[in-house]
Amino acid sequence: MAFDRKYVTYAVGGIAVAAIPLSFFGPEGLRLVVIGLLMLAGPGTALVMLLRFGPPDGPETRSMLPLAVSIAVASSLALSTVVATAMVFSRTWSPPVAVCLLSLVTLGLLALDAKRTRGSLAGAR
Amino acid sequence: MTPEPTPSAPPTAPLSPAPHRHTDTKHGGAKHGDGRHDGKHGDTKHAEIKHSGAKHGGTVPPAVVRHESSRPWQLAALAGLAAVALALGIWSLLSVDPARIGGTGLVEALPPVYFVALALSLAGFVATLNLRRYTPALLAGQVVVLVVILHAADPIVHGLPRLEASYRHLGIADHIAKSGQLDPNLDAYFNWPGFFDLLGLLSGATGVRDLMGLATWAPLGINLLLLAPLLALATRLTSQPRQAWAGVWIFYLTSWVGQDYLSPQAYAFMLLVTLLACLLSVFSGWAWPTGSKPFTRSLAHTVAKLDPTVPHQGMASPPPADAAVLLVVCAGFLVAMTASHQLTPFAVIPVLALFVLTGRLRLRYLPILAAVLPIGWLVFVASAYFEGHLPQLFGSFGDVQANTLGAVTHRVNGSEDHVMVVYTRLAEVAFVWVLAAVGAIMAHRRRTAWLTAAVGALAPLALIPGQPYGGELLLRLYLFSLPFAACLAVLILIPDRQGAPGWKRTIALLVLGSLLATATVVTRYGNDSMEKFTPEEVALVNRLYATAPAGSILIEAVHDTPWQFQKYSEYDYRELLSIQPRPDAAPLTCDSTNRIAQRTGAYLIITTSQKRAAELLEITPPGDLDHFIATCGASPGWTKVFDEAGGVVFHIKGAGNGI
Repeated sequence: MAFDRKYVTYAVGGIAVAAIPLSFFGPEGLRLVVIGLLMLAGPGTALVMLLRFGPPDGPETRSMLPLAVSIAVASSLALSTVVATAMVFSRTWSPPVAVCLLSLVTLGLLALDAKRTRGSLAGAR
Repeated sequence: MTPEPTPSAPPTAPLSPAPHRHTDTKHGGAKHGDGRHDGKHGDTKHAEIKHSGAKHGGTVPPAVVRHESSRPWQLAALAGLAAVALALGIWSLLSVDPARIGGTGLVEALPPVYFVALALSLAGFVATLNLRRYTPALLAGQVVVLVVILHAADPIVHGLPRLEASYRHLGIADHIAKSGQLDPNLDAYFNWPGFFDLLGLLSGATGVRDLMGLATWAPLGINLLLLAPLLALATRLTSQPRQAWAGVWIFYLTSWVGQDYLSPQAYAFMLLVTLLACLLSVFSGWAWPTGSKPFTRSLAHTVAKLDPTVPHQGMASPPPADAAVLLVVCAGFLVAMTASHQLTPFAVIPVLALFVLTGRLRLRYLPILAAVLPIGWLVFVASAYFEGHLPQLFGSFGDVQANTLGAVTHRVNGSEDHVMVVYTRLAEVAFVWVLAAVGAIMAHRRRTAWLTAAVGALAPLALIPGQPYGGELLLRLYLFSLPFAACLAVLILIPDRQGAPGWKRTIALLVLGSLLATATVVTRYGNDSMEKFTPEEVALVNRLYATAPAGSILIEAVHDTPWQFQKYSEYDYRELLSIQPRPDAAPLTCDSTNRIAQRTGAYLIITTSQKRAAELLEITPPGDLDHFIATCGASPGWTKVFDEAGGVVFHIKGAGNGI
């Protein structure tokens, strides 16, 4: 499980970092894949990893997977929607800036998760 | 706030025996209610310790759930079956000749192999469900195969987005991506721009101006994105995971409304299902103490009498800070939904209110927030629309008959084939509701969980007195209630105990699935002849754009053209006939076009899809569009600009000859 978490963290972090330059330039196909993934699941996955749905290794943890995936996708899309809509209404439309914002939120949540996980491990010792 | 309904709140003497759920363990369960293991399963290979708390509605979850292993060859055979079904399904869809699609839709053009693939997919799912060991990964694979075969037919067969609305949606997103501006006076969509802002952001940030591929594959993508939320919700509505999977399966088998294209409705529906799954998983329970006041005591007693159980599975118990974050996330879902779609946020209100009143949601203020957001948006943000459409918004308020029977009656019109499809749809809806009602009654009798699903299925109907939503209200309400109704329907066949349902029930489920799948092939794709478009039609529209100067009036004879996917605000788009059945329709005259074109001139486009729609829905008398082309096309001032496989384009000269 920790193994999985580590690689999910790397993947999400990598996408968030890569999306920042790609929102300004790069091949269209690559930009669509990376930025599309970030908008689809980036901030939400980082959020879900930060959250604890119950006691760690509890029997309900595995049955939480569909809910966690749902929240990861829906919250990423919802955040992207809110950011884009706020930019439109405030007449500050700038898609690259919006993507940078989503990336920063993702990286911030991943950092918080790392801090929380370290704290939990230290407490467990 | 109290955590859950309520073994203690009402005097529930008749309810005191442990509810029937989880108690009859045939395949590796354990007797619970007292948390003891029955000791009869010495051959079991794997055991998992489960919660032993009993706080959820008097139902004691299993202390120990034992999983018997399935033989590897069984798993391999079922995985192989899924692969074969998938390959046959895609191959058969690729071999469809779109020209054979007639009045009853895609079913006329499907080869027999398609139905073999569908049958294999259904058999694969029910056989996986009947494995001794619960195997969610394989069940997920079987459902994905079904989704591809049943819901991805349009992109595989046609390779283009279906429904003219898909093209319009692309145009709105393109307009926002380019300009970052809204024009609420141009289209009502701009008053609820959230979903289009999202698409515009994707387009603007990636530099991909043409999202046609995304729109083409949206039905598959949206249904796959729905899988996790549907499963999370079904898990909270049912007593054991096999029931939840069967509920999701039934949802896909009966989801014929076709709102899964690139649309605000599809997006808002996904947010809705996720929101409800999250709330029921994290914030389940009574919003007030159930023993202090007579009303709350009586309410809790009534609820406990109706349904003494609350499913334990899928319950989350996050720390308070995490729960607070999830509450903010849920509020974010409501905001995104409100910004994106007119109807869905209003459907949330009665669902949440009834969840609070039945002890399934302990956030008593959330229904109020859910009401304030869309009403506030309508009044303050969509004010231009609100002020200009008061008669449409409130003109039929309270007229239940007009909003229900009136809308249905209006749809039962058109050609014989189309009417047959509409009747099949009505029959399928009625059948699903009957199954749900029977499931609820059976669950009530055997004292297993049903009330949450029943409340969720019925609550959206509270919108009926509101307005007909362009005649589509019942269609949308069916969609909103379907995740709940499907979970009730499976209670007829899938037992409440853990373990395989057994072969008799499995065969019955297969028969039911076959019936529903066959019906859905007809109901979902019944309008395919007019909803599909050809590359030739899109090419014709592109030629029109290349020819007509910006600012021109572009007219479609029937509102069924694959256009507006670009240059959304650069032209003045008009239609002669809406895409509605018109009993005793009069022939189309040249005057209607000449009137529009009399000042500045105009371009008129008549495509093959428009002709098919006119025939199918009897919008015009048979053959009238061809007659219109032949007679009006020869009128003075009319010049045929293009005459291609996709249709014809005329230029009509205006008096001022401005264009």
